[in-house]
Amino acid sequence: MKETPEKTTHFGYKTVDANDKASMVADVFHSVAAKYDVMNDLMSFGVHRLWKRQTIASSGVRKGHYVLDLAGGTGDLTAKFSQLVGDTGQVVLGDINSSMLKVGREKLHNLGLVGNIDYVQMNAEALPFPDNSFDVITIAFGLRNVTDKNKALRSMYRILKPGGRLLVLEFSKPKHEVLSKAYDFYSFNLLPTMGKLVANDSESYQYLAESIRMHPDQDTLKGMMEEAGFEQTTYQNLTGGIVALHRGFKY
Amino acid sequence: MASEHSEIESTTCNDASQFLLLPQIVLSIIEKVLNQVLVLDPLLSQSLETIQHKRLIVEIRDWQQALQIVFDGKRLHLFTAARDSDYDCLISADINTLLTLKNPAMLTQLIRQDKLDLQGDLNIAQTYSGAFSKLNIDWPEQFSKYMPDAAAQQLYLNLKSIHHNALNASTKINALVSSLFQDELAVTIHPLELAQFKQRNRDVKNHVSALEQRINVLIRTLN
Repeated sequence: MKETPEKTTHFGYKTVDANDKASMVADVFHSVAAKYDVMNDLMSFGVHRLWKRQTIASSGVRKGHYVLDLAGGTGDLTAKFSQLVGDTGQVVLGDINSSMLKVGREKLHNLGLVGNIDYVQMNAEALPFPDNSFDVITIAFGLRNVTDKNKALRSMYRILKPGGRLLVLEFSKPKHEVLSKAYDFYSFNLLPTMGKLVANDSESYQYLAESIRMHPDQDTLKGMMEEAGFEQTTYQNLTGGIVALHRGFKY
Repeated sequence: MASEHSEIESTTCNDASQFLLLPQIVLSIIEKVLNQVLVLDPLLSQSLETIQHKRLIVEIRDWQQALQIVFDGKRLHLFTAARDSDYDCLISADINTLLTLKNPAMLTQLIRQDKLDLQGDLNIAQTYSGAFSKLNIDWPEQFSKYMPDAAAQQLYLNLKSIHHNALNASTKINALVSSLFQDELAVTIHPLELAQFKQRNRDVKNHVSALEQRINVLIRTLN
């Protein structure tokens, strides 16, 4: 998929003014924040936890590392990273949405995870950190909501330390025709209904399904990462390509 | 051809296991169990204290899987490991060899026997092995949280007896199966013996047909 070059962009299947997308996405996440974890478990049948485990396994995070969990939402990755970096490391849970950050902070506090986590509201396109600050950056299920993905990738590249790595966990294109059809049926018929029943919000989940289809496929995203400067860029399809984990290094 | 077939089968199995994320499911369950064990035996955490945040990678050769273990001071973390994962200690062996590591003294012996490869800090592997071999959970104490002390003790003794009986039964079954195989071996002839038997059969058949011919000749002569 190509980013629309002028002042418009995609919001699901709609074409909207680029300046409006961030606030429209924000509205979606303000609306779903409270039920975000429950809906994630329901919609993915709990498999999102396994996708995130694989992301952590590929991160190489160690004691003393500085980690940015971008679009970290309710802090699933941050929780594990906080334990792995120990007291000499630091994890920044960043999200553009204050409601999601609030839910994340409360959840992690309740888990007893304090001391090495910072909570920062931030826009992925203009990350408020000096160059070469982080050993690892992850963005899980967040990149597709960013208005200018190329700009965001360049921003991530800038703040990564040389030798650091970026991991992008995101919905992608299933590799098999049958799976793709079943997945389409599930996304456009069952998902909004589940959203309506559980979170009383079918529109946000309709947006979720549409935004996934508008997101770049595996190879396009890999190319975008390379364009932003990342090296040794690879991706791993998870659950037949429904989700892909992209990895790139800065040298 | 056979190896091609098995390669295809193995690739299909790997694909299915990757699709279902089986390694992640299994490791997440093991991680939960191990962390529960850490709660039940506080001495285990103390034994692992010296290797906090050290990364041990265990490569299980016959399963073609590798896993990484990290102890953060409170919990154990288990993940799959990739080829390029960095580590403080790496052990590579087949599953049967790994199971014998309950005895830390076996480590150096297995390395000498080329059954186990070890790279990095040997102390990390020894510490894990030693800590889990000394695992001592006070089960009656744990049960007594849910029932009276006497009942907890009785339940523990009963479970211990069941475990003991199960081990005995398993030993007996193994012995029986081995003996059955040995008996089977005794009545089953070797392929060479079968070939010899077939050769003798052919010889007898030739003798019989020669004898038959001679008898026919004699009968014709007499007539």
